[in-house]
Formats: sequence, C-alpha cells, structure tokens
Amino acid sequence: MSDPAMRLRIPVYRDGKSGSSTEVELALLQAQTRRHFFRNLGAGLGTVFLGTLGSKLVPFAKAAGVETTALDFSRDPRTPLSPLPPQFPAKARRVIYLHMAGAPSQLELFEHKPELKRFDGQDCPASFLAGKRFAFISGVPKLLGSQYPFHQAGQSGQWISDRLPHIEKQLDDICFIKSMRTDQFNHAPAQLLVQTGNPRLGYASFGSWVVYGLGTENQNLPGFIVLLSGGKTPDGGKQLWSSGFLPSVYQGVQCRSHGEPVLYLDNPKGVSRVLRRSMLDTIDDINQQTYAAFGNPETVTRIAQYEMAFRMQMDATDAMDIRKEPNSVHAQYGSKPGEASFANNCLVARRLAERGVRFIQLYHWGWDSHGADAKEALNIGFNDRCREVDQPTAALLADLRSRGLLEDTLVVWGGEFGRTPMRENRGGQVMKYVGRDHNPAAFTLWLAGGGVRPGMTYGETDDMGYEIVKDPVEIRDLHATMLYLLGFDHHKLNFRFQGLEQKLTSVKPARVVAEIVA
Amino acid sequence: MNVPSPIPDAGEPCKTASNPGAVLSSVRLAFAMLAPVLVVVILVAILPPDGNERADWFQFIGRFHPLLVHFPIALFLLVPVLEIVGRSARFAYLRLSVSFVLALATVGATTAAILGWCLGRSGGYSGRLITQHMWGGVVLCLVCWGCWVLSTRLRELGRTYAIVLALGAGLVAWTSYRGAQMSLGPNHLTEQMPSGLRSLLGVKESREASASLADPNTFYGARIQPIFSARCISCHGAEKHKGNLRLDSYRGLMRGGKDGPVIQIRNIQKSDLFRRISLPAGHDDFMPRGKSPLAADQVKTIELWIESGASDTLAANAIKNAPSASIAPAEVKFEEIDPAAVAKLRAAIAPAVAQLQKQFPNILAYDSRTSADLRLNASILGSRFGDRELDSFAPVSEHIVVADLSRTAVTDESAATIAAMKRLHVLRFMDTHLTDSTLLRLETLNQLESLNVYGTPVTPAVLPTIAKLPKLSHFYAGQTGIVPGKAVPENLVSKVVF
Repeated sequence: MSDPAMRLRIPVYRDGKSGSSTEVELALLQAQTRRHFFRNLGAGLGTVFLGTLGSKLVPFAKAAGVETTALDFSRDPRTPLSPLPPQFPAKARRVIYLHMAGAPSQLELFEHKPELKRFDGQDCPASFLAGKRFAFISGVPKLLGSQYPFHQAGQSGQWISDRLPHIEKQLDDICFIKSMRTDQFNHAPAQLLVQTGNPRLGYASFGSWVVYGLGTENQNLPGFIVLLSGGKTPDGGKQLWSSGFLPSVYQGVQCRSHGEPVLYLDNPKGVSRVLRRSMLDTIDDINQQTYAAFGNPETVTRIAQYEMAFRMQMDATDAMDIRKEPNSVHAQYGSKPGEASFANNCLVARRLAERGVRFIQLYHWGWDSHGADAKEALNIGFNDRCREVDQPTAALLADLRSRGLLEDTLVVWGGEFGRTPMRENRGGQVMKYVGRDHNPAAFTLWLAGGGVRPGMTYGETDDMGYEIVKDPVEIRDLHATMLYLLGFDHHKLNFRFQGLEQKLTSVKPARVVAEIVA
Repeated sequence: MNVPSPIPDAGEPCKTASNPGAVLSSVRLAFAMLAPVLVVVILVAILPPDGNERADWFQFIGRFHPLLVHFPIALFLLVPVLEIVGRSARFAYLRLSVSFVLALATVGATTAAILGWCLGRSGGYSGRLITQHMWGGVVLCLVCWGCWVLSTRLRELGRTYAIVLALGAGLVAWTSYRGAQMSLGPNHLTEQMPSGLRSLLGVKESREASASLADPNTFYGARIQPIFSARCISCHGAEKHKGNLRLDSYRGLMRGGKDGPVIQIRNIQKSDLFRRISLPAGHDDFMPRGKSPLAADQVKTIELWIESGASDTLAANAIKNAPSASIAPAEVKFEEIDPAAVAKLRAAIAPAVAQLQKQFPNILAYDSRTSADLRLNASILGSRFGDRELDSFAPVSEHIVVADLSRTAVTDESAATIAAMKRLHVLRFMDTHLTDSTLLRLETLNQLESLNVYGTPVTPAVLPTIAKLPKLSHFYAGQTGIVPGKAVPENLVSKVVF
C-alpha cells in the first residue's frame, strides 16, 4: 500500500495527549497526501457550501461535525499496547477463550432432553423441517436421543452427561447459557461471527478489541495470544484473530506450544544476544533517521516492534516453557511437554494469565460430529474430543481458582453453533456412523470466573433441544455481556472506519445479559 | 334587542314564524330533524354494544366514527363563541350564523352517533366506558337539537337556551374524554405528565391498577394472573371487555365470554383461551390480536395450570414441572463519564500518580476511567520490584484498592507499607517470601475481600488474625503451611481456597 496514513489508522493518534503529541501532529501533517486531499475534498466543499448559506444554517453546519463523547484510546505511538483503565470498575481483567471449533453437540454434553430420548428413532415431524436449511440433512431424518446418560452434579445440581467427568467437578463455578443463537450455519462464517462479531472477513476480533481498549500490562509479551491444539486449523483461518480495521499491533499473535513460541523469535545460530542488541541499535539509528526525514509515525511503531521482539526473546520463551512446571501440575492437566495439544495449551494459558496477558485464545478442533466417518462419529471421534478437553479444561479452572486468578479471569468455552436433534442422513441415506447436523437455532456455551454468576443456567430450549423457548442470547448479546464484565459499554468501545463507529457488537442492538453477572 | 344589524330582522327569527303556514313548516322541519336522533336513541336502547365483533358493513361504516365525530364537536363549541362575541355591537352579525351552525351540528352529531353505534355494536366493545360514551353522544344529539329549536324558534326562552348551551358544552367535554379514554387509555391525559407537575398537582401514577388482587401465594395469583394482567386486560379488563370476556379476575376468566367458557378444566384441547394463545400469530382467531404472541413458557404455564385443574387455590409451587417464573430482564444502564468530575476526584493524587507512572511504567493505573482508586500490579516486574520500589508508592497508598505483589522480591520489611494501604480490596502476594509477620500486621485492612498468599511460607498461626478481617470472602492459601481441615477457624472454612 502506498498510502502511509491509511495503514496508520489516523484516529488512534488523533487526540494524542501523550508526551509526543506534537511529534504526532507534525507527522500527520506531513503524511497528508494527494489521496487525503481528494478524500477530504467532498466534506470540505460541503462545509464551504453550508458556510455560505450564512448564520441561519449554523446549527446544521455544527451537526455535520459529529460531536461524540467517545472514549479516548490514543496512545504514544512508541507504546501502542500500553494499558488503559476500563470505562468503569470491572471484575474481569483478562479473558481465556476456549473455542471448540466444529461445534460440539450440546445434546451429548449439557442439554438433558428425556423427551428427545423417548422419540429416538422416530421420523422427524414435518414442522421441524418446514422452511429450514441444513448443511447435509435431506428428506425426513430420524430423531436422535442423546447417546450418553445424563445426571445432576455439584451443589448447583446442573445436568451434565457422563462424557465430562472432570469438568463435572467444576460445575459449581460454571454458568451455562443454553439459549445461544447464531444466524450462520457454516463453520467459517459462524466462527467469524463468534470471534469478530461479523460473519464476513475484515472485522476486528474480540481479542483485538479488548487489547485496543485495555492494552496490556506486560509489555514483554503480546497482549493477545492464540494457541492451536494441532490437528486442523479452524475453518475461519487466521482471520479469526485478525485486527481487521484496528491497527495491526492489536492482532492476535499465534504462538506455538513447543519449540520457539513465535517462529524466528530466537536468534539464529552463532548470533549472541549482545550482537543482536547492537544490530537492533544500528537498525534503530537508521529508523530514527528515516523518521527525521519523513516523519511517518509508522516508523516509530516499527522501532517499538523491534524492541518488543527483543524483550519477548526472554519472556515469551519463558512463559511458553511448560517444562518448568512440576510433574504434579502435568498430572493435573494431562500435559506432555513437547507436543501440540489442548492440554499443553491450557497450562500455557494459565502461565500467560499469571504474566498479565490480556486475551488468551485457544482453539481445539474436530468437534464437527456429522457421523460421515469414524473421526466425526458421536460414538467414536466425539469421545476422543471429550477426553482431550475434559481434564485440561477442568484443571485450568481448578488451577485458576486456587491461584486466585478465576476472580478476574473470564473463561469461555463453546463452539460456533449447535447440533440438530435429528440424526444426520447425508443424501437421505442411513449413515454408518451416528452424527448430527448443524443447528444455528440453539446451542450451549459456558462461562466461568471474571464476575460471572457461578453455578447457574440461563435460557432454555424446547423438549427436543431444537429451538430456544426462553431468554435467547445472540452472539452480539454475549459480546456485549463480556465487554460489560471487562468494564465497557459496548457502544463506547468503538473505532471510526468507513464512516461508521465500528463496534464488536456491530449495528444491531445488543443486550447485556445482566442476569448472569454476579 | 336593539342591536344595529347589517341585515334587517336578524336575530328575530320568531317574527318570520308569525305566519301560521311558516310555523307549521318550521315545526315539521324541527321534527324531521328530531326523527333520526330518536332512531339512534331506539337503536342504542334496544341493541347496545354487546362485546361481539361482527365483521360486516356495520363495522366498516363504524370505523368512520372517529373521523367524523370531531366536526359536530367543533361546530357545537363554536356556538357559544358566536353568541358571546355576537353580544358586542361590532360583531352582532355573527349571531345570524348561530342557527345554521347548530343545524349543521345536529345533523353532524346524529350522523356521528349512528356511526358510533355501528362501531360500538360490531367492533366488539362493551363495558363502562363505551356505555357512558354512547349515552353521552345520544344526549348530545338531543341537546344539539334542543339548542337549535330554542335558538331558531323559541328565542324568548333566552335563559333556558343559555343554560342548555352551557350544559351541552360540558357534555361535549365529558363525552369526548370518555371516547379518548377508549382509544388512548384511561390515563391518557396524565400518564405523560412531567413528574414535577405531577407532584405539584398531586396526581398519582396509576398503572395496571385495574387487575383485581389475587392471592400471590396461589399458582393462579403468582403465575397466571400476572400473564393476563400484562398481556390481556387492555382489551379484556374492567374498562373494555371485548368478546364479553374479562380476564382481570378469576371469576371473569371462569365465566368466559360471548361463546361460553374459555377454560375447560383439565382439557386444553377444548379450552378456547388456550387454543387461541397457542395459534400462529397470523391466524384469524389468534390472541392477543395484533400483538406479539405470549412467550412459550407463559403458554406452557397456562397449559399446565389448566391441566392441573385451573384452580385459584392451588399453591404457587404446586406444579413441579412449570417453567420457572421469569425474572424481569435486568437492564444495564451505562452512565456518561463527566471528565470534570473525574479530574476533581483525582486532583489530590494526580501529580503523584503521574510521577509514579513515569517511574514505573504500566504497573500503576486507575481502577477505571471514572474513579480515583488505583490498582498496583507489580507482579509483571517480578524480582525487579522490591521493598524500596514498593515504598515509592506510599504517597498514594490510601488510594490503592488492588495490589498484586506476586513473584516480586518484596519482603516482610514492607509490612508497614502494605498495612498502610487501608482501602485494599484485593491483596496478592503469591510466590513471594512474605511470612506470618507481615500477615499478622494486616488486621487494619478492614476492606479486604480477597487475600492471596498462594505459595508463600505462611503458617496456620495467621488464621485467627485473618478470621477477624470483616469483609474477607476469599483466602487463597494453596501451597502454604496451611492445609485443609487443620486449625482453620469455623468462620473461615468456607472462605479458604486451596
């Protein structure tokens, strides 16, 4: 891109009241290009026109210059991740988001539906099918009762199946939302909706928004770290942790749980840390000269990024190195140093949370239980998925609680949509393995810690677990609620782009689900 | 009357009537005008609105009632104006118009009354409001006619005419108010009254007062009546009983409407009320008509109640599988930040905070953009943060509400500094070398809610002191000398987290 200020996202620095504001203003003035001139020409001419109409129209002219009580998120360009206080006092200071890509079946884990079990194997009523779109179901599918027995557990007496015996022990810390709803029924757009508030590409992810709003206290680590459990990358791809229209410093940094946490972070063989330092100092000198000549604030950011990478060489490697944990902890998490696994990532997540990382995003994979093959079967692959996440998730919750971190860490566990109460019949045939199709109309997601009311269930679906009958929660409502727990009015955490005050919750009205806030 | 008049004989209509033929024709005219009014009286008397809705020509015509009714009102109220202004010599000619305006008002009022009857009869209205409005309208027609007769033919009865006119004006106000109550709600004049004026005039805020009080300990009173009160009684209540059905009391509900009972005990298939509320919103019989359907769990609650016998004495918790009573959705209100007020709040410490933030970047921050409370997170500096560094924060110690000293090099020498942070809510020193001697000095922290000593050499000796902290709800004591079950005071057991 040949337009430096476009990349800079000018508004971030617009009201810079930090020490370098004059520097930034100068830089912005110098960055004014022919493109900006033309871009501003329209509005400029409009203003001139309104001006010539005389004092009668002054109120209109004033209205044209939008007056907002916007929150100021400007920072010194040399420290774009510096922490900012939340809008109002808040319980949650950081987020650990455990995204189960592929959409785990709520009917095998959390949704106890004895009526559905009763109708197991019978033809699905026509009213379930009228006007519905499915990814694979065709013709008249059979209803499918839960494959696993349910029981009540914990003091809160919430229902859970026998697939998650470890998480079951943490049930009294968990708040279920059983009435989640989405409007996307394919994985990639649905994941994008959950993670960026929009099913299309190009929007800022949740973690980016949080780091943009709150910054991060530990300047030696990225504020937004993404960890994958190996296997398949989520369908939404790297867009899921993109910063979209927000400045690129706020994007998620994908780290590896073994070897170098960030590729090419370590010094090459034969290059010592001292040599690296002197090299960076030389590059810094050149960058300073470039800045003196062209005054482009992006140069200042570049200098800051080099410095951060240098600091990360020490701290990131240390934070990611789970070999430093005692064996008892590995036994608790089921983690094995050296492999890419959800268990290892849960342990890393706790270590990052301790070190003040603002947003820690984990992705697990393989939950798309259509029943098309053994890996996707509710009675085979699904069990492996449960085993992979059950113990580490429970260990993470227990560990966070005993270290006092659950107080101010918001943990989220969930997929991108739900699964149908009907057995999938791809091509109208009875399939060899048992599976369910996508159901965007209802799914279950749970939260814990960070000021969420523990041991409760919010919302309800019908007797078949097919549609929501009580207290529906849209994705944007969940986002608004999480931002509220982090201390923000979702309207106020915004960024001007393409003529709109862009928000995580987008343009439709979102409701903070105050009922689940402790 | 010796009023100079632009037209001879003006104001003396009686003279024209001295001719017997003219008298006869004018009497005929008067009765010709009265006849339709009497027709309305008869219609209203023998066929009053009965709450049944009839989708036919009558209702179509009736819908023009609100459109037309304002003309006779305006015309009638014009008459006193004309009469009063006409008393002055300059405007005496105005009184010439009076009889014409009154004739027009009579015709208009009669037409409006007929249309009103059509609407009332077939629009599904019944109840106190419609009855009063209807008879008010009918009497007004008679008053109009009477005024017209008095002003044109019996001018000598000037005093009677004046009184009837005044009564008529009053009646117009009363009748229109009743009509407006039907279309806009019983409190339409006061419901939007500004609260200042409201308290000045002593107008009470009355909302939903019309539902009769049911015993809140019964299932009916706790779960069923609230649904009807919220969703049904605007049409089936004390003021309006469409379909002759009232849902503002158990008695009204069980009596049913024009087609008989709406509830068949233990038989939801035959309960018309249940059938209608469970229909799709577009269906002809769907209720509440023109509004959003009842929530699914409300329908379910009503269904279970009917199946259980539809009793008004059944205890509130008697139906086990009833959907839980939905809590009114909680609303979160966001307040605007007033930068001036925040600056004022922070004025005393702002210079010290700015100085410390420069000296120790990223570890000291305001708790929020609205507060002057501070959070100190020294844990990210690790061993680079020790007693000397902590001492630098003494000037703001009373503003610190959250202090995280985990993994720092802080030692027991900082005990006094920590104890001086009197407003601490959260104090963490996980994995530090702080010992009992620091903890024993923390009894001054009476705001402390969360204390974290995970991974420190703390022993059970501190427990009695910790137990005295009045607000403490969490004491994180994992990986310390304190072990579950041993020597933990009674009131601390539920607060210790291992």
